[in-house]
Amino acid sequence: MKTSLLLLATLALAPLAAAQTDINTTLNANQAAQVVRIAVPFPELVPPSAPVAPEPVNSEEVRNGFFGPLTRDIAYSGIFAIAPLPPSVPVNTELLKRINAQLLLRLNVWKEGDDYVVEARLVDQAGSTQLGKRYRSPAPALGRTAHMLANELVRTLNGRPGVFLSQIAFASNRTGNWEIWLMDWDGSNQRRITFHNALSILPSWSPDNERMVYTSFARGTSDMYIINRRGGGRMRINSGLALNTSATFSPVGDDIAFVGSVHGNPDIYLIKDDGSNIRRLTTTGSVESTPEWSPNGRQIAFTSGRSGTPQIYVMDAEGTNVRRISYDGNWNDDAVFSPDGEKLAYTSRVNGRFQIRIANLITNESRIVAGEGSNEQPTWSPDGNWISFQSNRSGAWQVYRMRIDGTDLLQLTFDGENKEPDWSKKPE
Amino acid sequence: MKKLSNILLTSLAVVLIVLAPACRSKKKNIPPVVTPSDTSASAPDVAPPPATNTGTTVAPPTDFVDETPKPVEETLPADIEQLNRYVQQKGYLRDAFYNYDEATLDDAAQSALSASATWLKSKDGAGYNLLVEGHCDERGTEQYNLALGDRRANSAKDYLVTLGVDSGRIRTVSYGEERPFDEGHEDSAWAKNRRAHLVLVR
Repeated sequence: MKTSLLLLATLALAPLAAAQTDINTTLNANQAAQVVRIAVPFPELVPPSAPVAPEPVNSEEVRNGFFGPLTRDIAYSGIFAIAPLPPSVPVNTELLKRINAQLLLRLNVWKEGDDYVVEARLVDQAGSTQLGKRYRSPAPALGRTAHMLANELVRTLNGRPGVFLSQIAFASNRTGNWEIWLMDWDGSNQRRITFHNALSILPSWSPDNERMVYTSFARGTSDMYIINRRGGGRMRINSGLALNTSATFSPVGDDIAFVGSVHGNPDIYLIKDDGSNIRRLTTTGSVESTPEWSPNGRQIAFTSGRSGTPQIYVMDAEGTNVRRISYDGNWNDDAVFSPDGEKLAYTSRVNGRFQIRIANLITNESRIVAGEGSNEQPTWSPDGNWISFQSNRSGAWQVYRMRIDGTDLLQLTFDGENKEPDWSKKPE
Repeated sequence: MKKLSNILLTSLAVVLIVLAPACRSKKKNIPPVVTPSDTSASAPDVAPPPATNTGTTVAPPTDFVDETPKPVEETLPADIEQLNRYVQQKGYLRDAFYNYDEATLDDAAQSALSASATWLKSKDGAGYNLLVEGHCDERGTEQYNLALGDRRANSAKDYLVTLGVDSGRIRTVSYGEERPFDEGHEDSAWAKNRRAHLVLVR
């Protein structure tokens, strides 16, 4: 296993355990009101104890593969602000006070054989180490190391990991056929998971981040498939129905919700992930589509044409207690619950174009996160701070990422056309 | 025997109906008998009526019908892809087109499927199964359109069945907006993309 080469060597630094509780209490108070200023100088590239013949380190490889992704993660964390450093001045606790930075992240990167070793120490103004980590990884995995370290920095501050190790599944036609691909949260490390050489779309993560369910037309009909995140273990789920689209794992059990059809009547169904125990949840004669579970597995949002136009509804997971959510506009689809279950993001037509709408299920208020072009298929980051979606604003479908208020917009895909992002459910 | 001659009459009538405009354009008033030696390469180079032209077909002159029918054999392309192009060009199989966000068949769509049913029940068409693909235009959302395409494919299938095509011969699939016929972003493209597309399969 190539990926397991990435051995995480957590340095259980002796003073750390005690110090960690301090930082949590002292910094959490600050964090509520403002972000924490952190200085992140470029890594030293010196082995700690001079070996006989140190391997030369390619500083550009370290900058592009590690330092760039790390500082971007930190800047996007929402809880850190990177304090600019004056050039050619030794970085010490005196300087920290002068530039008003509460924390300093000292980095050292060196090579041992083919692997890079990254050592990180988070130091406060008093000079105490708050976090110490050492990672070993081959050059192609430096980006993942950066995400791991950034996750630890966030965890040190607020007790929960960041989203930097989360993955986004999507469909891409860059190889000629639509296939399922994965990428890191920042768009890096894009890799193909399916090889059907046939239309394969609508990936959706399992709650443990280990599997995906999607729809492929590999047999000429549309079928549901389950595959693991490395592309192995592919299994077709035979529902005996037509369509088999919009499949999505229950967050709590072994059910999959999907759209099945009998005689041209698409409805929401449940089926076990081994293909057994199929159950019909909606029974109208209209088109039902696009089921999506609430985070606790108790409710399912879906789209129905029962009112004459596609609108968003929510029902209990048994199919009862149906209530309509969307009233704005004449076409709404793609509803997804926020991780806290309090909001729904969905695709909503506004003035002839689709936009991402975020509706608060408690206050019943909703707002549009407007953007150029048509914007569809929203998906929440595991921490609920970000939404990924597809937009054709560039002239082709591409996957984007933004904060839920629409700021910090970033295009994640560029090769071919790319759509239907689905963000992994767990942060790491 | 009577049944057979009925079938032959029907097939001849269909050929005549479909080719009538082409014949008139050539100003020849003879039945377009296609001999077995004809191949698809020698098919008439006159443009077939477009699939969207699903209005009433032109009735042949009455003297056509009164002629003593001769057995007509038409050699169809053996390759299934060529065959599908051929039967669409000839108008033997005609796609049904839909209004925006609808899966109901209007008069033109019924007329197109009616012609298709006639051919599917004819001697030439009886040996094939049919795949009905449901398609949508890009103005909706992908997931809902996949479901809508299923509805369209099945509305076309159901109508063919009511016209006497064995339901066991017909399979449906929905492509939603994934496989547009026209990549354009205007009304004319969208109209072409809202369809039930009929495909012969073995």
